[in-house]
Amino acid sequence: MDRIVFESVRKIFRHRPALFNWLGRERGGETIALKDLSFSAQLGEISVLLGPNGSGKTTALKLLSTMLLPDAGSVRVNGFDTRRDASSVRRQVGIAVAAERSFFPRLSARENLDFFAALDEVPRPERAQRIKEVLRDTGLEEQADTLVMKFSSGMYQQLGIARALVKRPNVLLLDEPTRSLDAAAAAHFWSTIRALARQQSTVLLATHNFAEAAAVADRLLLLHRGELLADRSVGDGESAVALRSFYFRMTGEEEFVIGNL
Amino acid sequence: MFRNRSMAIMVGITNYKFEITNSLDKLRAILRRDLLTAIRHRSGFVVTMVGVFTELAAFYFLSRAIGPGFRPGGIEYFPFLLVGTGVYTFFVMSTQAFLGAVQEAQQTGTLEVLMTTSTAPAELVILSSISAFAGNLVNLLVYLFAGVAVFRAAIHANVFSCLAVLFFSLAIALALGIAAATLQVAFQKGSALVWLLGSGLWFLSGTMFPIQSLPRPLEFLARALPLTYAIDGMRRALLEGQSITEMAATLAVLAGFGIILLPLALAALSLSLRRARQDGKLSFY
Repeated sequence: MDRIVFESVRKIFRHRPALFNWLGRERGGETIALKDLSFSAQLGEISVLLGPNGSGKTTALKLLSTMLLPDAGSVRVNGFDTRRDASSVRRQVGIAVAAERSFFPRLSARENLDFFAALDEVPRPERAQRIKEVLRDTGLEEQADTLVMKFSSGMYQQLGIARALVKRPNVLLLDEPTRSLDAAAAAHFWSTIRALARQQSTVLLATHNFAEAAAVADRLLLLHRGELLADRSVGDGESAVALRSFYFRMTGEEEFVIGNL
Repeated sequence: MFRNRSMAIMVGITNYKFEITNSLDKLRAILRRDLLTAIRHRSGFVVTMVGVFTELAAFYFLSRAIGPGFRPGGIEYFPFLLVGTGVYTFFVMSTQAFLGAVQEAQQTGTLEVLMTTSTAPAELVILSSISAFAGNLVNLLVYLFAGVAVFRAAIHANVFSCLAVLFFSLAIALALGIAAATLQVAFQKGSALVWLLGSGLWFLSGTMFPIQSLPRPLEFLARALPLTYAIDGMRRALLEGQSITEMAATLAVLAGFGIILLPLALAALSLSLRRARQDGKLSFY
């Protein structure tokens, strides 16, 4: 069964200059973030949205999490439409956003997780145990009782992942999850994600990191300027170098990059 | 058939209990978050207390300077000021506190994440506003207690009337807080409502002098403000000890404002959140 379905999804952001900003250079216009995007993701599958900055990866994740609504087409999670059944969708989905500071700075990591777990309706008797598990899985066990205002970028990122995992979502959305992690923490994280997929979670991960895509992807969705350029499976042992060359071949950017090396 | 209906009722009751338990658990989590944050702002509590006593001292000496001859509505001026400024500050500070929380959540990106949790946005906003208002309710009680205990304000409280006024005032204050949050989400200008409350309404609502002193058109405007009835109601309940029956008309007006304003504010917020999700402006500030 398809856990995630995008059907001809279009998303446009319209910009209006601020009132009385005649003297500034700000002008109105629109950005087409997604152009009739269609794809689906299966149960237990790790799909990687690969693309450059501004290709629409984060927009796709935000549409799935109900942070955004599509302008046309439909987005469904486990059969629930994000527009009509937003609350049912939110119960299924966990998201780790790239924004690092989306926590309450004067609460500890454990207190932040407890707060979000309550809002995610994690049963109270199970909460402490689950928080302990996700803190261990994300390598934050020793910093569990540190106020998050003292965290580094990498620790914020680990905590974001822990927050997404604590509700045990059917669908896990990750936006550049290892951007601020060191190599060892990233490798540990990738193995956690693979284990999650084996437990029947569907994972959609947005990245422009070829090593990350090669490490975890079952499927590759190549996004470029809001359009899906490729949707294919990733073979076992397919290297980051192979993915990189595929990416540049598909986007037509290869010559430019090689020419500048 | 009968059995099916009984089962459906049982399932309905169970779901209802589950929802209530969940909401109480969420409220506990929000109150805990706000309490811990307040405690860990180490100097915050001390500064608030110093502010309370400084303000009360200023009003006490102001009333002494004016002299005992000025008794608006037959009430001594210091208790008149105590209740007026206490209730007014409760309204403004609660709205400001709630708005501040929404603005901070927009700036840090927490608002977007909160909107992806299993809690419905409207429920989240109501529970968060209850927390913001509970903190300021404690401040109001400390303010009134200090006025009575330290500055010897004379009170003759009717507890039931006080609670009734407080209940309806809280509903109106919640509506104002949610309206400010709506303006913030829709136009990033929730502070406009706080500015209006802070600068324009204090002299129209009978905070420091009776509204009968205003010119006729302004008095008419003052009578259209819920804040006027909240302040007047609290003075009559706390200082004159009027019973619920004696205050029926004021309580009815307060209830009317609450019944109209609260659902309107919630509907407007719901609409603005949906629009923000459509336009991608949930975290704009």
